[in-house]
Amino acid sequence: MDTKDTNTNAASSSISPEPIRGADLTSLPTNFEPESETATGIALATVPAAQDTPDVKKEKVTTPFQDSLKRLRRDRRAMVSLSIIILFIIIPIIGPFIYQHVGGQLLDGLSGKQISPATYHSPFIQRLDHQDEGPSAVNWLGTDSIGRDTLARLMQGMLISLFVALAVEVVNVTLGILIGVSAGFFGGWVDQFLARFTDIMFAFPGLLFVILVAGIFGQSLDGPLSNVPILGANGNARLLVVSIALAFVGWPLMARFVRGQTLQLKEQQFIEAARTSGTSNARIIRSHIIPNLFNIVVVAATLDIANTVIGEAGLSFLGLGVSTPGSSIGLMINDAQGLTDVHPIEVLIPAITLTIIVLAFSFLGDGLRDAFDPRAKD
Amino acid sequence: MVGFFIKRFIGLIFVLLGVTFITFILGINAPGDPIKNLLGNHYNHDAWVRLRHIYGLDLPWYQQYFNYVTQLLRFNFGNSYYFQEVPVIDVLKPGIPVSAELGLWGLVLTFVIGVPVGILSALKANTWIDTSAMSASLILYSLPSFVLAVFFQVAVVQLDRLTKSHWPIANWGNAWQYTPTDLTYKIGPILVFAAVGFAFIARLTRTTMLEILRQDYVRTARAKGLKEQTVNYRHAFRNALIPLVTVFGTSLATLVGGVFFIEVIFNIPGIGQIAINAIGNRDYTVIQATGVIFAIAVVMGNLVADLLYSVVDPRIKVE
Repeated sequence: MDTKDTNTNAASSSISPEPIRGADLTSLPTNFEPESETATGIALATVPAAQDTPDVKKEKVTTPFQDSLKRLRRDRRAMVSLSIIILFIIIPIIGPFIYQHVGGQLLDGLSGKQISPATYHSPFIQRLDHQDEGPSAVNWLGTDSIGRDTLARLMQGMLISLFVALAVEVVNVTLGILIGVSAGFFGGWVDQFLARFTDIMFAFPGLLFVILVAGIFGQSLDGPLSNVPILGANGNARLLVVSIALAFVGWPLMARFVRGQTLQLKEQQFIEAARTSGTSNARIIRSHIIPNLFNIVVVAATLDIANTVIGEAGLSFLGLGVSTPGSSIGLMINDAQGLTDVHPIEVLIPAITLTIIVLAFSFLGDGLRDAFDPRAKD
Repeated sequence: MVGFFIKRFIGLIFVLLGVTFITFILGINAPGDPIKNLLGNHYNHDAWVRLRHIYGLDLPWYQQYFNYVTQLLRFNFGNSYYFQEVPVIDVLKPGIPVSAELGLWGLVLTFVIGVPVGILSALKANTWIDTSAMSASLILYSLPSFVLAVFFQVAVVQLDRLTKSHWPIANWGNAWQYTPTDLTYKIGPILVFAAVGFAFIARLTRTTMLEILRQDYVRTARAKGLKEQTVNYRHAFRNALIPLVTVFGTSLATLVGGVFFIEVIFNIPGIGQIAINAIGNRDYTVIQATGVIFAIAVVMGNLVADLLYSVVDPRIKVE
C-alpha cells in the first residue's frame, strides 16, 4: 500500500508540475465535460489510491481529458482565438440591443422627424442623406452606400454566420457520428455507401455543389421559404437552402473521420473486454465508442465551422445566399465591392471581420488538435 | 499493375456515373418547364405534348438519364434555357480560353511558388524565415479567395494613389496574350487565385522535406562527405517531390472551386462568371453543364495524379 501511494505521488507530480498555473486558468474547464471521461484510462487506476491519503488529495489527479485541457490552455494562440470567438458570439447576440439604445434623438434630414437610435441603428433602415459616411459618433463604423448603419449590419451578418455555422455543424455532427459509427462498427453496405458517396461528393470541388443547388433551386424557393417565420423573413429565405446544401456537402468528411476512429477503437482491448462480458452492440457503441469520439469530433467540427462560415459568406457574396434587406458578411462585401477605390473602409470592415472569424476558428481547431491528439502533429 | 489500373478505371466509371447522375437529378428537378419556356406565346397543349416527345422528356427517368449521358459523351449539353436554341456549349465557349488560362497559370504558380518556399522553410527550419513563411501560408491557406482578393484590391488602390499609377483592379486583358497591358490585368488575379494552393503546397513540401531530411539515407549521404547542396537537392529534394504528385488532384480541385469567386470579384469573363450570370438568368442547363464540366475535370485530375504517382513511386504497384 505504501509503495503504491508514493508511486502515484511521484508520478502525478512529475507529469503535472503542481497546479501552479491552475489559479488563473480554472475559470471555464473542469465542469465542461462531466464524469464520462473519468472512466477512461489511467485515471481510474489512480483515483482510489489518491483518495487513501489526505496528503495526495490536494494534488489533483488529472484525467487524460484534463491533461488535454491543460495543454490547450498553455497554447496561447488557441486561447486568444477562443476568447475572440466568445466575444464574436456575444457581440451579435446582445450587441444590437445595446446599440439600438445608445445615442439620443436625432433630427432626420429627409422626413424632418425626430428619430431614435432604434431607427438609425437598425440594420435595415436606409437614410439616404447619410450615404457612404465614415465612422462617426452616430454611426460607429459609418454607413453603407444606401445609408444603412454598418455596425448594425455587421452584427446582423455575424449573427447569420453563427446561425449557419451552428445549424450546419449540428447536422454534420449528428449525421457524421450516426453514419460514421455504423460504417466503422458494422461495415457492410453502410460502409460501401459512405465510401461511394464521399467519392462522388469529393468530385464537386469546394462550393461547386452548393452553388449548383442554390443556383438552381434558390430563386424558386425564395417565395415559399420567406413565409417561414423568423428564419425566412428579411431576405434570409435562401439561407435555409444554403445551410441544407452546406450540411449535405459537409457530413461525409466528418463521417469519414468518425469511421476511421471507430475502426481503430473497435480493435482496442476494452471493447473486446466489453464484448466478452456480454455487452450488447448498442451499449458498446453508446458508452464506449461515442464518448471516445469526442476529441476527434470536436476538432473536426471546429475546423469545419471555419469552412461553413466561408461557405455562407461566399455564397452570399455571389448573390446566392442572403439577399437584401437581410445582411450577411458576404453580402456586405458584395455591396461594397464596387466602392473599393472611393470608400475602401466599407469593404474592409466585413472582410476583416470574416478574416478574424475564420482565423480564430482555424487556430482554435489547430490548438484543439495539438491538445487532444498530440501525435497528429505534423 | 494491370489490376491496379482496372480497379482505378472501374472506380472512375462509377464516380463519373454518380456525378452525372447528381447533375441530371438537379437538372430535371429545376423549376419551370423547359418546353413551355421554349414555346413561349405559341403554347398549346398539342404542341407541348409533341415537343415533349421530340425532346424525350416523356420517357421514364432512367431512359432520360441514359440519353443525357450519351449526349454528354458527344459534348452535347443541350440548349440554353435562356438564349433559346443556342447550344449550351456555345454559351460557354467564350469563357473556356479565359478560364483555361487562369487555371493553367494558377496551377503553375501553385507549384512554382509553393515548392521553393516549402523547401526553403524546411532547410531553414525554426529560423525567422521559416516562421514567417509558415505563418503567412497558414493565413493564406485559411482565408477564402474572395477575401484575399478584397485585400489585394484595396492595397492596389492605395498604392495607385501613392504612386499615381493606374494598375487595374478588375477585368482581364486579351486571353493568351501577354503584352505589358495584359500583364497588368492578369498578374494580380492569378496570384490571388493561386494563393490558397501555393500556401497549401508550401506547408506540405516543408513537412515532407523535414521528414526526408531525417531519413537514414540522407545521413549516409552526409556521412560520406557529400556537399550540403548535393545532399539537399539530389538526395532529399527529389524524394520530397513524390508526395506532391498526389496533391495535384487536390490543387486542381481547389483551383476549380475558386474560379467562381475570382472571376466574379475581378470581373474576368470566364466560365465561372458565365455560370453565375446564368444563375441570374435562371439558365438551368448552363448551370448544370458547368457543374458537370468542373466535376469531370476534377475526377480526371485525380486520375492523372493517381497514374503519375504509380509511375513516380514504384512501391505503389505492390499494393
